Amino acid sequence: MDIDKHNGAAGGGAGASPASGDMYPGQHLRVSDAEREAVTDQLAEHFAAGRLDQAEFDDRVERAMSAKTWADLSGLFAGLPGTRAPAVPELPRGGGSAPGSPIEFRLDAASGVPTYLQLVHQVEHALRLGYLKLGDQLPKVRDVVASLAINPNTVLKAYKELEVKGLTAGRPGQGTFIQATLGQVALPELAGLHKSLLGWLGTADAAGLDEDGIVALFTSALRDFYKRRGGAGARRGAASGNTEGVA
Amino acid sequence: MNMNIVETSGLGKRYGGTWALRECSLAIPAGHVAALVGPNGAGKTTLLNLTVGLAEPSAGAVTVLGGWPAGSPAALDGIAFVAQDTPVYKNLSAADMLHLTRNLNRRFDQPYAKARLGELGIPLNRKAGRLSGGQRAQLALTVALARRPRLLVLDEPVAMLDPVARHDFMAIVLTAMTDDGVSVVLSSHVLADLERVADYLVLLSHGRVQMAGEVEDLLATHRMLTGPAAEADRYAERPVVRVGRAEAQAHLLVRAGMNDPVPPGWEAHPVSLEELAMAYLREPGAGALPGPARSRNTQPSEVTR
Repeated sequence: MDIDKHNGAAGGGAGASPASGDMYPGQHLRVSDAEREAVTDQLAEHFAAGRLDQAEFDDRVERAMSAKTWADLSGLFAGLPGTRAPAVPELPRGGGSAPGSPIEFRLDAASGVPTYLQLVHQVEHALRLGYLKLGDQLPKVRDVVASLAINPNTVLKAYKELEVKGLTAGRPGQGTFIQATLGQVALPELAGLHKSLLGWLGTADAAGLDEDGIVALFTSALRDFYKRRGGAGARRGAASGNTEGVA
Repeated sequence: MNMNIVETSGLGKRYGGTWALRECSLAIPAGHVAALVGPNGAGKTTLLNLTVGLAEPSAGAVTVLGGWPAGSPAALDGIAFVAQDTPVYKNLSAADMLHLTRNLNRRFDQPYAKARLGELGIPLNRKAGRLSGGQRAQLALTVALARRPRLLVLDEPVAMLDPVARHDFMAIVLTAMTDDGVSVVLSSHVLADLERVADYLVLLSHGRVQMAGEVEDLLATHRMLTGPAAEADRYAERPVVRVGRAEAQAHLLVRAGMNDPVPPGWEAHPVSLEELAMAYLREPGAGALPGPARSRNTQPSEVTR
């Protein structure tokens, strides 16, 4: 089933202990079957391309299949062009994050936002704020399920949505990785927008709106704006209903 | 995996002169967590007992795991069941429980069970009667999962547990689903947290199936409309599930999709699973409404015209 290819590497960093002054952080992490297979696949490509002879290929595959830690895998690609030694998984940064991913999800039961959308939003948010960068790994499906006690299909749905948006790509047997960043507005422009928003807030305040009123009005206008831009048409009903509640 | 993990047709169970369940026709696909929701006495436990083969149907039939009759050897082999209040033998230790279960079952993953209990910090030599409620539930779940079932059936699994134990219990159920593709059918009258866990919903009321379907579809085909109370009657003949009305403002739960136009002066909001289930359970006559699968073809224009 679909779940398998996403959590194939779940064992990769599962046994990770906090980095206690290791010289090569991550090198002692255990290697999973999926990772061994990925390495073997790469070796097979080199063999097919004639860059390894039969004896070298057999020897390296045997070393790959008997590898226990990432340190055992280093050196398997010595002398081969185009590939690097497999990247050693990074140790968890900070305290609570899942091994392998720089972010950890949380859920707000009171938000009313569907669970899968909350996950999507948190990834986008982390991208905007720079917590996630190109090539970073999202938490493994199994880790998300275990820590939040949510349905794995929900996590898969969120990850599929991110993939459809072009932000991530799934690598079979490894997990899901960031492959695009979200467009960011340049800083000077951001400052200008901030300033004009402050001006608008002053006007709203002078008109007698309190903070909640301003948020409601802004949310309603924002929704209205994107609905019109999205070409949905004939959307005036929803916005006017909301504005009435505010005024 | 397109098979149905549980399929019933015209299923009924009568105790004396009372039908605990009747005319129940369901097709629950594999690979889901299906939640049976309904008030006490709605027939949840009866349906589960029929599914695992602990009760015989008075009418109709139930098959599991893609067509095996409930209670047949193949069905028993592939299903694990944790009954209400997660019963364990109080005078047996966890180790005794594992020993017993291993000898009573064709397949039993002893290393898994031991590792699991170790992770949970449940002492193998302590009698089950002296474990906490959360630990007892985990022990019953561990024994069930160590049988490596394809379908896990849980009757009110978390009703007696505190929030932390509830979270930990469900985390293990859902991790087993992730790892081994176990399908889950559970009953619950706790609506909170349902949306996180369940992706298939069966609403039972007075022994009948009121609504059944994939949560995603159910949420996509329902909207809460808020608008002036004076106009609420205009929608009375449309597929409205619940009307909440104050003097000025009315809330209507209607069958409508996200892209259906909203009437002028009204506001449409998505509904949560809890809100949806609650609305149906409050509506005694809602069983007469067409199921969402059928209404999907007819509802868009009806709401907006």
